[in-house]
Formats: sequence, structure tokens, C-alpha cells
Amino acid sequence: MPHVELLPNSSSAAAPGWTYVVDTGYDPSKVAINPKDRKRAAPRGGPRGENELSARQQTAIARRIAQLERDNDPKQGIAIPGKPSVPKTQNARRIIQYQRQIKHWLDDEEAQMAQQQQAPSSRATAASRAVAQTPRRPSIMPSGPPTPAEATPAQADHAEPEELLLSITSSMPPPLDQTQLQALLSAPPLSYAASHVAPPPAGGPPQRQFCDNCGYWGKIKCLKCGARVCGLECKEAHEATRCLKWA
Amino acid sequence: MPPKGSKKASTHVPPQTLVLDNGAYTLKAGLIPSASANPTYNDCRVLPNCIARSTRDRCSYISSELDGCKDFGELAFRRPVEKGFIVNWEAEKTIWEHEFVEARAGLRCDPRETNLLLTEKPNCPRELQKNCDEIVFEQFEFAAYYRCVGATLNAYHSSDTSSVSSLPQECLLIIDTSYSDTTIIPLYHGRLIQPAVRRLAVGGKLLTNYLKELSSLRHYNMMEETYLLNEIKEAVSFVAPSTAQFSKDLERTWKGRLGNKRELDSSIVVDYVLPDYERSIHGHARPHDPVKSRMRRGLQPLQGPREDLLPQGNERFAVPELLFNPTDIGIQAVGLPGSIIESLNVLPEALKVGMLANVVVVGGNALIEGFMERLEAELRALVPAEYLLNISRADDPVKHTWLGAARFASQPELLKGVLVSKAEYDEKGSAWLAKRFVEGDR
Repeated sequence: MPHVELLPNSSSAAAPGWTYVVDTGYDPSKVAINPKDRKRAAPRGGPRGENELSARQQTAIARRIAQLERDNDPKQGIAIPGKPSVPKTQNARRIIQYQRQIKHWLDDEEAQMAQQQQAPSSRATAASRAVAQTPRRPSIMPSGPPTPAEATPAQADHAEPEELLLSITSSMPPPLDQTQLQALLSAPPLSYAASHVAPPPAGGPPQRQFCDNCGYWGKIKCLKCGARVCGLECKEAHEATRCLKWA
Repeated sequence: MPPKGSKKASTHVPPQTLVLDNGAYTLKAGLIPSASANPTYNDCRVLPNCIARSTRDRCSYISSELDGCKDFGELAFRRPVEKGFIVNWEAEKTIWEHEFVEARAGLRCDPRETNLLLTEKPNCPRELQKNCDEIVFEQFEFAAYYRCVGATLNAYHSSDTSSVSSLPQECLLIIDTSYSDTTIIPLYHGRLIQPAVRRLAVGGKLLTNYLKELSSLRHYNMMEETYLLNEIKEAVSFVAPSTAQFSKDLERTWKGRLGNKRELDSSIVVDYVLPDYERSIHGHARPHDPVKSRMRRGLQPLQGPREDLLPQGNERFAVPELLFNPTDIGIQAVGLPGSIIESLNVLPEALKVGMLANVVVVGGNALIEGFMERLEAELRALVPAEYLLNISRADDPVKHTWLGAARFASQPELLKGVLVSKAEYDEKGSAWLAKRFVEGDR
């Protein structure tokens, strides 16, 4: 069999008939451009896993979580009762008059961090930055020293067994490295976004699915929107109320 | 410009300190005279940190005025603290002034004659910290001020209650499961190990909002009844002891299929009797009674007391389950035990051992029934078997951080080392102040 490889060319003219198109995999942005294109969108998505979500479902979930995390109801502005006292300085007046929400401040912080990374200030030493960087990769477990449980039997083979059994040094963790400790203690705070915990590992148990209506296990997937229901009764309730959300 | 005489005033430290744990849901505050006897939980006042407005009686309630509220129906809240950080100073200033400056009794104090010890959440954006410092000195004009991450002051609880020790505990792992989120905070000699601080974006607020959403979907529209649903959450929710038990409980609260109905297990399902705000302000739970709930759907007696019931089935344990399985509603994060391990993995082995031997849980969610048992069981399974795991809940998880701060404030030599006076601030500015609080010379 001769090896046939399609090389991507930029000069492909849009002509009637058919043409080779570079397949770069599933691209959610394309789905958003043409949401009416349902028949073609489905095969283009390729073989999707059982639990994988469409872009639309993902935005719906993200919106729902944002709603659950909200502190204040944006619809209702509650005025300060009574006559407000006069701010004492210009600074105080400015701060009191801010009507920004937390997301604005957090976005500001992110933008500032990005700016600083592009033009690192000369004052920040390389060492302190290295410390700050390490916890930014939370998905990878640091390869620490082996746990004592593994170390003990390996050593017991070729040494005086009794002494080793009695000694507690093998079950003691290595002593604290002072420079490492100092680096940990003097490291600057993480940004708000960087302090969040990592998503669950890929190999872990799959996400549990619950009925959209009653909260029991979601055994059946709604054909229209992909939400889960537990049975016929809940399916009817779901179609009557919630299903339209993603329609 | 500072007044001429301010140099002289800077040497004088006022004798009393306002210790303020400024939470998103409640303020924990108390006035501590310096060099006082050991402060206790009783010295702390818990005040709602909100301005509430009722559309029914058209009244506004500021913080402690809520105690006098008789109708919590459709009460809307304005909270100055978002995600744990003070964002809206217009509202926060009103609440502080109402409670500390204008109050007739209680926590009334003159800020010019008082030190302020203010706690904050970790990873606060710098701009917000700066705003806070400027308001404290320029608007309230506190005589001296120290701001720090609240959890660090938990290290000043002495294990021996009879003696007051000024030395912080060596290794302490604080798990603060509060209204805004749940943070994991490792402390070494009372100092924060910043790179290991972790935050799980599940807190009491999310649980209340989730219960609100579920109840509105399944029974009545409760979207405006935040106060009531929070009350129901506190009254009936519990954490299932394990994942297996969670499945069993889910089975027991299932209504069954069409044509194959199941009897709901009344040991789990409860009916919450809703308050009508005429005869009762607060509701209460009682075991599920299928006859009465059927009556609810049909006719209520015209005479005699009417009552509205909100059945609580799997909501009781599925809501707090989010702390352990945030993925249940699609939050892409590991559960609380996994978060603790993630935080500890940043630390060297020896510190890890020390932290695990001294884990303290603070924050209101720790009061949910079964929370501690589940956390301990799941954490034990993740920690190597030969490591000692000591995990305990603070005696009063809500006030515990405040008490740690109060103990810190009652020791003049500790306090003097960290306080910054107004004169110093006027001279050196807020940028210097922010730097000083970050670096600290403790």
C-alpha cells in the first residue's frame, strides 16, 4: 500500500463539489457560529464519550454554578437607609462610591498578573518566583521522598534485622530542610484564581449523574438536551419545564 | 497631612482593641481590653453582616436590627462581602458605623481610642486590601490597626487552657469551611504557608442557593426566600457517613416508578412546616406524614389552622454532599478530603506529618450533622496508614477564629509588635502598609 498523506494547502478555492479540509478535531467555536446546523454538527463532533458534554451544556452548567455562587441579587438594589455620613477624605469618598462587584476586582488582578509576567520587575528575584510557580501546577503530584512504608522492607533484607526493626529512623520523615522551609514561608500569596483546587484526576471515578427532577440517579438521558432523568414520570416533568432551557 | 502633634500620639497605644472577624455572613466582634484575663466565647458578639430590605413591610434592617424583624418573607439581602472579601464599602461602612460608632450600647467604641484587629480571607486581591486599609485609617480613623488572615490567629489557642502562652502552635492545619468557600490553610509557627493554601469554591452560600433551587423546582417557588431556606438547611441537612450510605439513602427517599410507587422512608424524609409570619416566625421539621402531605395537595380545612409543608427528602443529604463531591453539580474540583491532600502535597514530608496530627475545622458548615465523621473517614483513607491523623472540630466553629484573635489581642507584647498606628500610616502611606502586613515581622 502506498502511503497517502494529505498536505494542508492554503490555496484551496471554494468550488462546488468537494474539497479536502484540514480536520483539527472538534471545535466548539464552529458550533457557536452556526447553531442551526444541527444535522452536520452531530457527526462533526466525532465519537464523543458517554459523559462528555456539548458546548451548550457546558455553558448552561457554568451559568448555573455562577448563579449558585452569587452573593448579592443583582436585580434588587438595596439603598442605604438613613442619611449617609460624609466621607472624610477624597480617598474614602472614592472607595465608598465604588459600585464594582468582586468579579471586576478579580479580573483586574488577573490582568495585572499577566502584565507583570510580560514585563517582570527587576526586584523580584528568580528564586522567589520559582517558589511561586511550583504550586501553579496542581494536577501533578510532586515527587516527594518515598513513603516510609516502602522504604522499610527494602532495607531490612541486607542489614541486621533486629536493629532495623527496633530503630525508628526509617519510619521518621526526613528532617526539615531549612532553606526549603524558608522559601515556603516567604513565598508571596497566590492569586485568587491560582488558589483553587485542581479538577478531579482523569482516572478517577466518573461523575455521578442525578435525575434533573427528583434527584435520584439519572439513568436515562433526555434525547433533546442530554440532561438525566430517572424514569418516565420525571421525564414528563422535565420535558414540561426544564428541557426547553437548552432548546 | 498629619497634624503636628501626631508624633507624640504614636507612642501611645490605646488600652482596648476591637477584634473583628469580618465574615461574609456574620461579623464576629468584641472589645478586648489589653492585658485582660483569658477571653472566652462569651465576649464575642455575632452580628449579621448585611443590610436587609423587606418588600412586605418596606423596612430596612441594618445588621443587628434583624433581631427585631418579625417577617422574614421575601427578605432581600445586601452583603458587602463577596467571595469572602469586603467589596462594597458603602454598605460595610454603614454596618460598622451602626454597630461600633453609633450604637448605644454593646460594641460602642471611639475608633480614635481603639486599636482594630481585622481578619481577612487568604488570597485577597491587593487592591481590595488597599481600599480596606485606607477606609480604616482615613474614614474611621482607628488609632492603630493590624490586618491579617484570620486563620493564622487560630495558632494562638493554647492547648492548656489554664496558662496563656504567647507562643503559637508549631504545626496547625486549619480547615475553614465558611459561608463563601472552604479554605485549607497550613500554618507553621503561626505563619501562613502561602503556596499551600487551597480553596474549594463550595461554602454555605452555595449550599443554601442549591437548596433554594431544588425546592423551587420540586415544590414551591422559593427563589426569594433566602432566609427561610438557610434556616431549613441548618435545621435538617446532614452529611451521609459514606458514599455507599449515600446511595442507600438515595434509594430510601426515592418515590419509585410509575405504577410501582414506593413508600418514602420517614426516618429520612421530613416535612418542614413553613412559618406563616402571623402566628410563627420560624418553621420546624417533623417526620414525614404521607396523609397530611396528600391533604396539602387537595383541600385544606377552611377553619382551623392551615399549614404549608415543604417535604425534604434527598435534599437533606444531597445538598451538603457537594462539599465532598462538587462534581455532582458540575463544579470541576476534587472534594474536601482531596483538597486537603492537594494542599499537603506542596509541603515537605516532615511538615505533612505535623500538620496531619493537628487538624482543626472551623466555620459554620462544620456544624452540619455528620460532617466531621465523613471528613475524618475519607481523609483517613487518603493518608498513609502509619501517619497519625488528629482531626477535631473547634468547640464553637463560628467563633473560634475570633477567639484566637482575641487571645492574640489580649497579650500586649504580641499586639505591639504588629500594630501600625495612624501616625505611621499618615507618614508612610498605604503602599508601605500593605507591604508591612504581607511581610510582617512576626
